[in-house]
Amino acid sequence: MRLKEAVKVLRSKNAGVWHITIDIVFKNSELYEIAKTKLTKELFCELFNRNELEYFQCDSINTLKVSFLREQAAGSLKDTDCLGANFYIPLMEIEI
Amino acid sequence: MVRALSLMGQLGYGYNRDSFLRGMSEGVDFIGVDAGSIDSGPYFLGSGNMKANYDATRSDLEFPLVTALNKKIPFIIGSAGYAGGDVHLSKFMEIVEDIAKDNGIHLKVCVIHSELDKNVVLKLFREGKVKSYEGNPPLDEADILSSTHIVAQMGVKKFLEALDLGADLIVAGRATDASIYAAYPLMKGCDPSLVWHMAKIIECGALCAKPASPSDALLGWIDEDAFYLKPPNEMRRCTVDSAMAHALYENTNPFVIEEPDGTLLLENAKYEQFDERTVKVYGAEWRERKNPTFKIEGAKFSGFRTIALMGVRNPDMIELLDDILDDIRDEAEKMFKTNFKLTFRQYGKNGVLSDLEFDNRLHEIGLVVDVVADEQKVAHKICSVVKSRLQHYDYKGRVATGANVAFPYSPAEIDMGEVYEFSVYHLVDEDLNRYFTVEEIEL
Repeated sequence: MRLKEAVKVLRSKNAGVWHITIDIVFKNSELYEIAKTKLTKELFCELFNRNELEYFQCDSINTLKVSFLREQAAGSLKDTDCLGANFYIPLMEIEI
Repeated sequence: MVRALSLMGQLGYGYNRDSFLRGMSEGVDFIGVDAGSIDSGPYFLGSGNMKANYDATRSDLEFPLVTALNKKIPFIIGSAGYAGGDVHLSKFMEIVEDIAKDNGIHLKVCVIHSELDKNVVLKLFREGKVKSYEGNPPLDEADILSSTHIVAQMGVKKFLEALDLGADLIVAGRATDASIYAAYPLMKGCDPSLVWHMAKIIECGALCAKPASPSDALLGWIDEDAFYLKPPNEMRRCTVDSAMAHALYENTNPFVIEEPDGTLLLENAKYEQFDERTVKVYGAEWRERKNPTFKIEGAKFSGFRTIALMGVRNPDMIELLDDILDDIRDEAEKMFKTNFKLTFRQYGKNGVLSDLEFDNRLHEIGLVVDVVADEQKVAHKICSVVKSRLQHYDYKGRVATGANVAFPYSPAEIDMGEVYEFSVYHLVDEDLNRYFTVEEIEL
């Protein structure tokens, strides 16, 4: 099953000007528990090319949350996504 | 019990009048609305322009404000004029004055200012009180001095002061979204843990309902042990999932929400379906901060922008496009000795995800030539030259000598005016309330 089929919500958004946060809310605890083993902090670091990021497992709400610094502040000359709303795209097709 | 009505998630998006009236009919103690954000980028703070213009703002504000005055309940607006600087407050107040005049109404307005003088920020910086925000690059003096406006996100204190002064309408500059909704129930003595958690969710209007909408209303009420959320619009519901998911929204940490006045801890929050369209919430914990901390935001002028849009469809050119663009950039840098920044955006290739793009399917590229320079005419000239180089570039294997690219528009160059970038987004360890002022205006 692909991640996009296992979730109620899969989104990214700015958290302020300098951070991106990704919310992955699973349809149920079974899918969440399976995905948790696959979607590790290391995988996110690799996918988003980051050395460091914040990674949260929210067991009570079947949710994974990941936050990291942007390359540049939102809306800077080289920024491509002012709202930070497309950073979930590399996750959609991951097989869990 | 205190009952709040959130008019919508963002003033100016077009409110729902039926929902508003249905919400009001349930009995409401105050109306709140968030009028701003930094979501749409640095332009609005930097330029002093509002995002929602006069007409859009007035048409969302007029009827609800007049209704609130007739019912004698306070109307509370935060981050007025979008970026919440002094210039935004003046533009916003013109709308309020026109509404008062045209409807023959009298009201007491408290305007709360949270724009900071650059010298104040400089002083705080030199005293070591300005800190990096969750790992972003540290500030320097040039960032402060180059900013056109610096505002602080105010907390709840000045809202409380304005309510105490008997304001019918509060028009606050840059403020945290939650402070807009926390002030009134705190004044009435509600449990701060319930107040801040409700305020954090309700600020988005019906964005936390299903189906979600930022332009529809949300009712929230607080009793002794819990708070409740319900959209007045019967086509929407608040569910455990929709409310819970919203608490995650736009925060880096799912369990901890920092406000100037304290920290909201969500680890033990409980969400229950109260009735079909209502969620009951309790269990969060508010820890008041002894010394408040504030987020400050600044934007600086970066030049004038001209862009040109064009389509690249020839597969041989697409194959060589990166090299072609490098070559044209080199040529432009040799040709123009002035200060400018040239950015190529290749939509269809990596225009959105940039270095994170993983899909290499490609048959057509939407190319944006983006030039920022110190003067509009300079940006225009450089954009024009780069555009014509692309049009006629004699790449290896070129067989079509007409034009290399397709232009959808004539003229191809589009002047976009002033460009701003964020220069400040930092934390201040100092009680900035002393710099915020409450201006009382009788209309």
